Amino acid sequence: MKPNSFKNFLAEVGDISAFGWRFFTEGFKPRYEFGELLRQCYFIGYKSLPLVGITAFIMGLVLTIQSRPTLVEFGAEAWLPGMVSVSLVREIAPVISALICAGKIGSGIGAELGSMKVTEQIDAMEVSGTNPFKFLVVTRVMACTLMIPVLAILADIISLYGGYMGANIRGVVNWDLYWYQAFDALSFSDLLPAIVKTFFFGYAIGVVGCYKGYYSSKGTEGVGQSANSAVVVASLLVFIIDLVAVQITDIFQLT
Amino acid sequence: MANTGLRNIKLGLFVVIGTIAFIAALYLIGDKQSLFGSTFKISAEFRNVNGLMAGNNVRFAGIDVGTVESVEIINDSSVKVLMRIEDKSREYIHKNALASIGSDGLMGNKLVNINSVKDNSTPVDDGDVIKTLAPIETDEMLRTLNTTNENIEIISSDLKKITGKINNSNALWTLLADTVAADNIRQAIVNIKLTGSRTAVITGDLSQIVQDVKDGKGSIGALLTDSSFATNLNQAVIDINVVSNNLALVSGDLKGLSEQIKSGKGAVGTLLMDTNFVHNLNQSLENIRDGADGFNQNMEALKHSSLLRKYFKNQEKEELKSNQ
Repeated sequence: MKPNSFKNFLAEVGDISAFGWRFFTEGFKPRYEFGELLRQCYFIGYKSLPLVGITAFIMGLVLTIQSRPTLVEFGAEAWLPGMVSVSLVREIAPVISALICAGKIGSGIGAELGSMKVTEQIDAMEVSGTNPFKFLVVTRVMACTLMIPVLAILADIISLYGGYMGANIRGVVNWDLYWYQAFDALSFSDLLPAIVKTFFFGYAIGVVGCYKGYYSSKGTEGVGQSANSAVVVASLLVFIIDLVAVQITDIFQLT
Repeated sequence: MANTGLRNIKLGLFVVIGTIAFIAALYLIGDKQSLFGSTFKISAEFRNVNGLMAGNNVRFAGIDVGTVESVEIINDSSVKVLMRIEDKSREYIHKNALASIGSDGLMGNKLVNINSVKDNSTPVDDGDVIKTLAPIETDEMLRTLNTTNENIEIISSDLKKITGKINNSNALWTLLADTVAADNIRQAIVNIKLTGSRTAVITGDLSQIVQDVKDGKGSIGALLTDSSFATNLNQAVIDINVVSNNLALVSGDLKGLSEQIKSGKGAVGTLLMDTNFVHNLNQSLENIRDGADGFNQNMEALKHSSLLRKYFKNQEKEELKSNQ
């Protein structure tokens, strides 16, 4: 890595951090854009549900089918629901829904704000007396932060249903027994850290998407670039946050 | 605006479903840990908990009724296990129930098993301490199994040798296949049986005899039962005792005598112990022999002398007569 590009990398990290901090300083000051927040929540949360739901269902199904041979080898087929539910709830459902959202929402926000930037709508907004940061960025970041956890919880349930389907392809697991065993294997220390980290996932996706769009340049070409790099950086951040979150839960013995 | 309203309804539905799912999941997990619903606590003291931890299940008669709240060491030989039990199973757990440490399958989690015992008792109360059974330790079990295995190994190898020997020896098979031997054995058994019955008869007779002897019938009976005979016998024994005392005195005298003889005192002593005397005696005997020889010659000469020949001839004739 050239010194110059390293310097650019540090500068971008600093810029994104400042951007993320600005969300807190401006976001909690009145006046609040509730209408816009709800609209963004609708698009970010509700509109992402089918995509997240299908992905989660398939992940649950596939994970169950893939885990079965190993468990059968140990004669521990009865542990399939418990093992699958722990893997899904702790790691797979939150991370998969965050990654899907990083792709769908991150690129959407990056492209939307980028095109607003290059068509100078943001500047026009500022002139007309509306705070563009409050109206565009705070609402989107807030919507991401609130909606990703909800999506993750629904993804948990849907993926566990997928696991139920998967468990019944080759074996027979009663509906009640499946859910009993799935929740028997879970504890609060499985569910709560997994849900808490999705707030950070949502926040990171929102901040990166908005930053990339807000500081988009170089015309229509730049819009594509913003959308692209928003997805890449947001996905990467999801994994980094996941790593940190797992280490923190491990340090505090919440596992 | 209607559009926005519909959107908000959809969003609300989405959020509500998500929240309900979250709360339901929390409730289902919490239900497992007995955090909701009324519970009570009982405890038990174990010597060894085999790795039981807080959060492990408590089972009554095989049904999950609660969880282990805490495991703490009280002193060097006991560990207190505090258990949180559902209130609805309180009436079934009695004060005299026995708690033991078990495990869920061979490799599964440890758990506390509470089992009821036969005797009647009242249901447990909050804070009661119930009795415990020492846990079965897998290590110990495996050690015993190992010893058993080794023994079985030795036994089976011995058995193998024995079977080999039996297979290789024709004698046994011949013996088993020999019908004559079997007949003989059968006959022998019949004979033994007969002998047995005869022995029984004899034993009966003997018993009769013994009874008779006891009653004083017959000579032995008389001997054993006659009291005057016993007195005589006693007297005889006393006499024998006196005789033997006298004998002892005599033998003492004899001993003194023989000592005197040994030391050469008295005539016999001189006779036995004086070597010079023995020599003289020898000499004398030789002289006597010589004298006898001379006498024989004299006698032979007399036989041939004319004066006495007649006497000897007559003697020979009489001898011939008596022989005929």
